[in-house]
Amino acid sequence: MLLEAKNLHIAYGDAPAVWDATIDVGEGEIVSVIGPNGAGKSTLINTIAGLLRWRRGTLHFGGVDLSTVPSHKVCRHGIALVPEGRRLFTTLTVEENLEIGGYRPEARKLTQESLARVYDLFPMVREKRHEMAGSLSGGQQQMVAIGRGLMARPRLLLLDEPSLGLAPSVVADVFRAVRAIHSEGVSILLVEQNIAKAFEVADRAYVLEDGRIVAEGVPSELLAQSRIREAYLGL
Amino acid sequence: MALPGLALVEQSLITGFLAGSLYGLLALGLSLSWGLLKLVNIGHFAMALLSAYLTWYFGTELGIPAWWAGAIIVPVFFVYGIALHWVFVRFRVSEMSSMLITFALAIIVESLIQTIWTADFRRYTTELANQSFLIGGLYIPKLNLLACAVAALLAIGTWAWLRYTYVGKALRACAEDTPIASAFGINHKTLTYLLSGICAAYAGIAGVFIALIGTLAPNEIWTWIGVVFAVVIIGRLGNPIGALLGGILIGVCEALTQSAVNPAWAPLVSFSVLILLLLVKPKWI
Amino acid sequence: MDLTGNRFANYAGLAVLGAALIAVPALDLPAFYIAFFYVLFHWISLATSWAILSGFAGYWSFGHAAFFGTGVYTTATFAAKLGVPFLLTIPIAALFAAALGAGVGFVVFRLQRLRGELFALITISVTFVLATIVSNTPIDGGLGVYLIAVKVPEVFGSPTSTFYLLGLLLAAISVWTAWKISRSKLGLGLFAIHDDEDVAEAKGVPTFRYKILAFAISSGIAGAVGSVYALYVSYVTVGDTFDVTVIMYPVVMTIFGGARHWLGPAFGAVVVETALYTAASGPDASIGRAVVALVLILVVLLLPSGVMPSIVRLWQSVFPLRRETPRAVAPPAMVPAKAQAAGSAAAPAALNGTVLACTDVRKSFGGVQALRGVSLDVKRGEILGLVGPNGSGKSTLINMITGHYPLDQGTIVFDGAPIQHLSAHRIAELGIARSYQIPRPFNRLTVRANVALAGMFGAGDLHNDTEIYGQAQHWMEFAGIAGRANDFPPQLNLHERKFLELARALAARPRVLCLDEVLSGLNHTEIDAALHLIRNIREGGTSIVFVEHLMRAVVELSDRVAVLNEGELIAVGTPQETMRDPHVVRVYLGEPHAA
Repeated sequence: MLLEAKNLHIAYGDAPAVWDATIDVGEGEIVSVIGPNGAGKSTLINTIAGLLRWRRGTLHFGGVDLSTVPSHKVCRHGIALVPEGRRLFTTLTVEENLEIGGYRPEARKLTQESLARVYDLFPMVREKRHEMAGSLSGGQQQMVAIGRGLMARPRLLLLDEPSLGLAPSVVADVFRAVRAIHSEGVSILLVEQNIAKAFEVADRAYVLEDGRIVAEGVPSELLAQSRIREAYLGL
Repeated sequence: MALPGLALVEQSLITGFLAGSLYGLLALGLSLSWGLLKLVNIGHFAMALLSAYLTWYFGTELGIPAWWAGAIIVPVFFVYGIALHWVFVRFRVSEMSSMLITFALAIIVESLIQTIWTADFRRYTTELANQSFLIGGLYIPKLNLLACAVAALLAIGTWAWLRYTYVGKALRACAEDTPIASAFGINHKTLTYLLSGICAAYAGIAGVFIALIGTLAPNEIWTWIGVVFAVVIIGRLGNPIGALLGGILIGVCEALTQSAVNPAWAPLVSFSVLILLLLVKPKWI
Repeated sequence: MDLTGNRFANYAGLAVLGAALIAVPALDLPAFYIAFFYVLFHWISLATSWAILSGFAGYWSFGHAAFFGTGVYTTATFAAKLGVPFLLTIPIAALFAAALGAGVGFVVFRLQRLRGELFALITISVTFVLATIVSNTPIDGGLGVYLIAVKVPEVFGSPTSTFYLLGLLLAAISVWTAWKISRSKLGLGLFAIHDDEDVAEAKGVPTFRYKILAFAISSGIAGAVGSVYALYVSYVTVGDTFDVTVIMYPVVMTIFGGARHWLGPAFGAVVVETALYTAASGPDASIGRAVVALVLILVVLLLPSGVMPSIVRLWQSVFPLRRETPRAVAPPAMVPAKAQAAGSAAAPAALNGTVLACTDVRKSFGGVQALRGVSLDVKRGEILGLVGPNGSGKSTLINMITGHYPLDQGTIVFDGAPIQHLSAHRIAELGIARSYQIPRPFNRLTVRANVALAGMFGAGDLHNDTEIYGQAQHWMEFAGIAGRANDFPPQLNLHERKFLELARALAARPRVLCLDEVLSGLNHTEIDAALHLIRNIREGGTSIVFVEHLMRAVVELSDRVAVLNEGELIAVGTPQETMRDPHVVRVYLGEPHAA
């Protein structure tokens, strides 16, 4: 198991967001966490990325206990984040954003090679590489955000709602990229509201509702249950 | 108000240009700390003045030339900058409170200066002080030119550092979105301490030139505040080249005002520009 | 003044103090002491007047000297150069200073979301501009103005006593004004602005008007102080008048003493000034300034709310105030009455017509279209659930309705009147309230004050303290937080803070209540309590629009559900209808589930 989260309790101040969550991601897997918005999916992913601290429970990555690792060193262990809403550095150019992605020492040595890979995967990004990141469209920004994550040469890529706010054709491109990345051996934890797209690529999935994991399993099994329907539609 | 002759205008332009570059030098540290650290450091001016007095003192009483004085002052100021930032971090000081605290620091430094060196005007007389290049009928004081060159060098150098080095990019990323920068391995703490030290060092450098060029008096601090804040805002926060160009712009406006109208009205220029800017409130504020 | 619980004792104590102070000049003390008192009164007035805007509302002015200087030079000009009797120049000076303050405020406060540092910079700039103008025009001309020829009215036989009495009068006026304001609607509004200006505006506080008013009062008093000072020193210069001391001392004294307490600045003034006098006199004035500055730093770092609150706590532990809990006053029935008449306690109120109608509402932020022409009606007395995926525009629609942002196109009509161009506080006054997903109470006001404020500035017609605090008590009991009435919001847990949000919203007597994700972060028991409360709110005649992600709660609670997706309304109807609508299912679950 590459990532092991056991019984995580996460809260903002005294407002609990995630209760008792246990998820894991194995080497080479694509695991998806789905659920209605507000369920706590981003909270969970941000915690794994080191942006938030958890109250109870344990989090291990590659055998390392992440509670001993300060926020800015989490990525050194091989985790990279593609945040919800992209969150590119708008005052930097596209290429600078990518370079920042490869900031960690082990990745910095391979910057040129990583850049080449990212440009191969996203030719459009190469065209725009000297433009300010804030001037790109939503879909283009999403490509850059994913590229930025890849620059860190991660073992596990965290994707937080990559389809948010994007047109269907762009979403298709994004997921094509996700599959390509996976085929190169990167494990992926994908948080998504869009069940259809998530289940197309996921090996396994967890359903998060109101801060709790209410179901897990292989996509085809989950689709047969009514749990998802209840979570999303309330019926 | 008599319209000045052409020669006077040209000379004013030169004088204003050079004086303005000194404003830019002073504004550099302030612009960086306000733009990238989100701290408003009123004490910046006081530290520059302290550096000026120290330079004058080293030169006049101890016989240490300005360049050596600078070599001593700048590293000490760098350490001071780090220490100051440590206090801000330790006490989780807000942007507003940082303004208040640095304001108080400015007063303390001013009192220190006045106590040690009295309120008498001080002039640092060096060999170069009264020398000028004479080009085409226009006087270009050598020291002012040197100050201008250093200001330009520092502004461009800082800009290039922010633009092209990893650390510079990391700083800019950090200033915009600290948590995400952190997620990619950027150590916010180390960088902010580094920047704070640099800003204080810049105040030290500005002070050396202020000593060489101008007259020193303790309450100079307050006369600069409006000018330099105006320069920082015109030039956009966190933009080193903007600070330099903004300074030159204000310097030229002031000089032209001085030659066309009563010199006493000159301070009004920058304050008025500042008020106008703050009211029009362009997007970059 | 609630120093002790006994009102008679308060007034008697005050009268004795007043008499004693007035009698001091008659005691034939050396002029030095009388003068010292004058200086104390001078700083008490300057500090207290500064605090009226800057301490209460949190807009730190670094330019009190501008208004002080206006007063100084008004008297210098009118008395010395134009021969106007001195006492007459005092109110003129106050008026000019107040006008300047109001003018600056009018221009400056219009800037949306003015950051504190910018206000500080503007006020410094105004001071120096004024100083330069005064210095370069015949007002002063750089040489200073002599007032030696001006006649000083004599009371108790010496000019010093006159200044003493004038100083005492101004100090008394300042402190009384600060006290009065801190207990008034204006004061509560200013405190709310300090804690969270956006929310204050949304609760009905006319923030723009109040800030200008506070600034004008503050400046006017400073002007009067300057006026007296001019004659006292009898020779005024630009350098001494627009000095950094005048800028800095009120700040230090107020922050030291306590910025939000009416007596804080006065206390700070007395302590700081006395210390300066005893510690350093004469040429060491600059050391004195340095020490004061050091004190400021220490206070900002270590005791941010100043000394006064600690003293108050100490006093209250020795003389505990028996604070009676106000009796709950049931608010009158919600207007219009036909909603009450039609509904009964058990069944949902009959849906008589539309209370809120949004037509073709459009809004873009930058290039992103958040709302693309949404038309939605809220029926009177209904609970309408507003749902949709992330980014669908739900919060934006709520923000349009409550006036937080202006819309680009379309209309919003509330009870027949269009409201789309009104400011947020106007809309709150008319009867639309909202709660925030992450509770945003005023952290430095008690729970009771939070609820009372909403009542004062809301749509209800409240005339006196009994009604205001009585109804606040009612709503706190309704929301189950009455036991926490005297606590401060940071001491409450999340559940209680959310219910405080509800109590505040209800105290404003809204006819439409917008709830923004009120259930997030609550456990199952708390959610049940919240749903129960929301139903009770509707029984009281309020129509409710609520944004929620917990779908089961939405389905259980709503009369109707409206589904937004990517800025458009894609379905509206009963929960059963809408959540089975194929389009809705497709949006949420994707293609395979459309069956």
